[in-house]
Amino acid sequence: MPVPLLVIGSKRYSSWSLRPWIALKHLGIPFQERLIPLRQADTPARIREYSPAGKVPVLVDGDLTVHESIAILEYLNETHARERLLPRDAPTRARVRSVSAEMHAGFANVRRQLTINIGRKLALPALEEATRAEVQRILSLWEGLRAEHKGGGPFLFGAFGMADCMFLPVATRFHTYGVDLSGHPGARAYGEAMLALPAFQEWQGAAMAEPQIPLLDP
Amino acid sequence: MALPLLVIGNKKYSSWSLRAWIAFRHLGVPFEERRIPLYQPQSRAEILKYSAAGKVPALVDGPLTVHESIAILEYLNETHAQDRLLPRDVPTRARIRSVSAEMHAGFPNLRQNLPMNLARSPAPLALDDATRAETLRILSLWESLRVEFKDGGPYLFGAFSMADCMYLPVATRFHTYMLDLTAYPRARGYYESLMGLPAFQEWRQAGVTEKEVLPQFEK
Repeated sequence: MPVPLLVIGSKRYSSWSLRPWIALKHLGIPFQERLIPLRQADTPARIREYSPAGKVPVLVDGDLTVHESIAILEYLNETHARERLLPRDAPTRARVRSVSAEMHAGFANVRRQLTINIGRKLALPALEEATRAEVQRILSLWEGLRAEHKGGGPFLFGAFGMADCMFLPVATRFHTYGVDLSGHPGARAYGEAMLALPAFQEWQGAAMAEPQIPLLDP
Repeated sequence: MALPLLVIGNKKYSSWSLRAWIAFRHLGVPFEERRIPLYQPQSRAEILKYSAAGKVPALVDGPLTVHESIAILEYLNETHAQDRLLPRDVPTRARIRSVSAEMHAGFPNLRQNLPMNLARSPAPLALDDATRAETLRILSLWESLRVEFKDGGPYLFGAFSMADCMYLPVATRFHTYMLDLTAYPRARGYYESLMGLPAFQEWRQAGVTEKEVLPQFEK
């Protein structure tokens, strides 16, 4: 049986693509990947070969196509990942999903002002009030969850899971722009643990070997 | 045992709140609700009493607080709703989650330019290209799913599911801004099914009588 195919965007710039990729790679699930460079003349047409929603990432598994990073993670959890992305107990599952969904649909100002740029170090822009509030929300969320789950492992809810996949791109943004984490030691240690994951190091190495895309890079 | 408490915003305007509320009401799951009018001086402090994320809806169920509409729907499905928001078969669950997540995080132009406003007299608005493209994506999605699932019931995937909760606020926008659905007969039939839900009629009745007027949602 063929392994699932994950269609992704440029590794330097596609924060959405990183989320399901890190789940597959970190958990050691065999998969193929197809990388479609972003912002090229044929990018929309190439993505639409796989997904009528016109967005990456997309997972193609036999007859099934799943789009949206968080939906791919839910699907993997129920199939290839054999429930390693969500804990068993319903209340903790609900909390993992709440913060994952909050990331999926939210933090628009962080995403806009601290654009993803994996492997580069860039000057921190002057953060707008709304962006600062979002950074504070993320840091206090991480800090609180790490304090609560510190006995269970180094990840947001102790064991590795969906929430870590969702927030990894944020950790890379904080690193790229040198966001000050000194008031949040638990959050800082968490971000460092995420960036040190061998699977992320592999993604970052590949990202840095890609050509820069001027439209997406300052 | 105390009933789950759903904290919501204005029924006239809060499309996020409607998504969670409709699941409870349509499925007949007992719950309490607490309405916090949005964008008032006390709104933020009131919401933060229930949810550290500072957003509605939030569900408080015993010691647990769940925020984000889609996460509340997943939690309901696993608990009080007894698997009635997602089918059993894994590929269909995945497709429902894909289109639900697409709605949850997407269609920013539609949300910005055609805000949910249940008290507005229906009248069309000029749409920019980005908004039009998003409405066409939604209509073609609805049309093709309704063709595929026409024998299973009147909802997006046949039986009522999480996806219907997520797209109901879009249906209200199509109504309020009088989008032309004639080229999409099955999408229109679906739209009519959503608008005709008794639970939605109840929500709308409450919404139109609310006194607060929020200018940012009056277009």
